[in-house]
Amino acid sequence: MKQMTEAQLTELEQDLNAIRNDVLADLGERDARYIRRVVRLHRTLEVGGRVLMPFGFIPPVFVAATVALGLSKIIENMEIGHNVMHGQYDWMNDPSLHSQTYEWDTACSSDSWRRTHNYEHHTYTNIIGKDRDYGYAVLRLSDDEPWRPRHSLQFINYILLSTFFQWGVGLHELETERLHRREITLRSKLPFLKEFFRKGGRQAFKDYVFFPLLTFPVAPIVLAGNIGANLIRNLWSSTVIFCGHFTQDAETFTEEECWGDGKNESKGHWYLRQLSGSSNFTGGRWVHLLSGHLSFQMEHHVFPDLPAHRYPEISDRVREVCAKHGIHYNTGSFARQYGTVLKRIAAFSLPDRLRARLPALDVA
Amino acid sequence: MLARQNHSTPLQWLGRQLFNRDDASAFFDPLLARINPMWVQEYTPARVQRIIRDTSDTQTFVLKPARRWQGFAAGQHVNICVEIDGVRHHRTFSLSSSTTLWHDEGLVTLTIKRLPGGRVTNWLHDQLKSGAVVGLSEAFGDFLIPEPVRPILFIAGGSGITPILSQLKTMAVHGFRAPVTLLYFVRDHDHAIAGEHLQNLAALHDLLTVKIVASQGGSEPRYLTQSDLNEITDLGCRDIFLCGPQGLMALAGELLDAKGVSRDKIHSTYFSAPQTDLDSEDLGGKVRFARSNLDVDSTGDAPLLEIAEAAGLTPQHGCRMGICHQCSCRKTSGTVVNRLTGQASGPGEDTIQLCISIPQGPVSLDI
Ligand code: FES
Repeated sequence: MKQMTEAQLTELEQDLNAIRNDVLADLGERDARYIRRVVRLHRTLEVGGRVLMPFGFIPPVFVAATVALGLSKIIENMEIGHNVMHGQYDWMNDPSLHSQTYEWDTACSSDSWRRTHNYEHHTYTNIIGKDRDYGYAVLRLSDDEPWRPRHSLQFINYILLSTFFQWGVGLHELETERLHRREITLRSKLPFLKEFFRKGGRQAFKDYVFFPLLTFPVAPIVLAGNIGANLIRNLWSSTVIFCGHFTQDAETFTEEECWGDGKNESKGHWYLRQLSGSSNFTGGRWVHLLSGHLSFQMEHHVFPDLPAHRYPEISDRVREVCAKHGIHYNTGSFARQYGTVLKRIAAFSLPDRLRARLPALDVA
Repeated sequence: MLARQNHSTPLQWLGRQLFNRDDASAFFDPLLARINPMWVQEYTPARVQRIIRDTSDTQTFVLKPARRWQGFAAGQHVNICVEIDGVRHHRTFSLSSSTTLWHDEGLVTLTIKRLPGGRVTNWLHDQLKSGAVVGLSEAFGDFLIPEPVRPILFIAGGSGITPILSQLKTMAVHGFRAPVTLLYFVRDHDHAIAGEHLQNLAALHDLLTVKIVASQGGSEPRYLTQSDLNEITDLGCRDIFLCGPQGLMALAGELLDAKGVSRDKIHSTYFSAPQTDLDSEDLGGKVRFARSNLDVDSTGDAPLLEIAEAAGLTPQHGCRMGICHQCSCRKTSGTVVNRLTGQASGPGEDTIQLCISIPQGPVSLDI
């Protein structure tokens, strides 16, 4: 991470706070109208997808219904659920869009997500050992973790993780790696497991039991369509999220850097870490909407509770602040960023010595 | 607070399975609101039928609530919910119409005075047009006409007349057979809400006496006095209803005490005006944690999260610096100042972040 003096960090903090305050002062009608429109779009797609699905014996209808339902889940998870749970719309005082009560359409319960994502990941972004989102305790993505033989097959793990992403995220809080190391007991995780089975069961029930049974004669078609819709959502969200922190230039940190010598990390330092640890990708309006504006992951990480549709309009200012302070504004096309993610997964599946001999896999 | 909970359990169960929410029908609200806002399920919608100007700063809003609204008793209040600049605001007002109007025509009225600096009342006066739809809660409050019939003395000040207006209208329709006296204190006669209507009622019903007193008319302000009470026949056996500004209520309480009127004869209700001055000096105040049934005093700029923890509570939290929203909770009343923005909240129901909210005067929280 870039070395900055306390005075420079304070200046960085002030520069970013200025952007934040401008947006906060301007929140209102426009933001409310935006999120309501997205919610309407979600409802329309979900209702449309569910209604069309039983007619899926006509192939084009099957494709349309599956895509509609998949898109509805993507929009609900990314642009509505994730952002609402960050408190981006709490100021609207609308209980259906409130961070503490919102429950989203995925296997991970909102409560678990608020603990593991909003708190752990956003507070300890990319600090190895503290941010369990870094590699999801499944993948080795940096030198900070020593190589083990099992890592050589991590590409398969990556594909499995992406395919079953909602279940991976749902089980994230189980902390299997710590269970494995016997740092915690399964017993202490029972309340969480109960919550997981309830929420996961609910999701499985609706997509794999209720709607197929409701449309009995065409149950297999509806079941297949629902599986397809979940798959589309899983692959897309996992890809977007991987592009947010595991690209070539996204940095990792040590606890020492932030809290060494018993010091408390300053807000300016926290901002610096958020900027250095995240990465954006470019794209059209729809790409941003479907990624929940996590295509502006850097903006999201410095301002997690500003309405996400504001990120594109403040991105130039954030980029200027980065330039001013000599911080790399990590962005590129979706294909480029994703390419570096795949390269990182591949590179760190190899022992360090072997990797060093393959310049094509140089990611550091 | 506006939500209704009258779904059958199996349906509720299914709704939760399918839509991840307790109120499954409200899942479709975003679409329903587009087609017809009166179909919204999350709260009871009410359409503004007509707006009547009462005085220079008071208007009466005639509302037609969706038919599933459960009605009210004269003297009760409702919360209304309006969206101003993207933000939902809830405010409490008393219903000013007779219960008959609801039974016969499905209408209710709210008589609302513009509060200086009040965000919601001014918006209602300036922006709310007939045809618009607002949210309405079920009626609540126990400021009710006594049963069986007993003689009554009403003492009202300013817009405190509204619940009494509803009671008098309802009593007139139902032929209330006992002496009723109203002492109504207003700044000057132009500010008397429904003054003419009250005089007409008094002319029609010989058991009703109405006395409207202008407090600012003469050289000296004219407040409630002992002799006003002396004029009331058999004060001792009347039920007394007080509604108005805090000063008037306190004064009336003292005078009635001096007269030896027993406390349980006195019914009172009032809304204090929202605090408009945002002097950041006067931070701190009594905090009520309603669900834990705990009251604590706070001084200075301690945020609510620390106050709660000092009191032995363990509210959910994460970062303690305003980023993760783990600590968001419902504030049911009172004003808090946001440490990050320096902004004060409204006095009504709101969602706040405990770790960066500092009480400004008494606050009550749903934790
Ligand atoms: S504890 Fe994180 S926002 Fe209050």
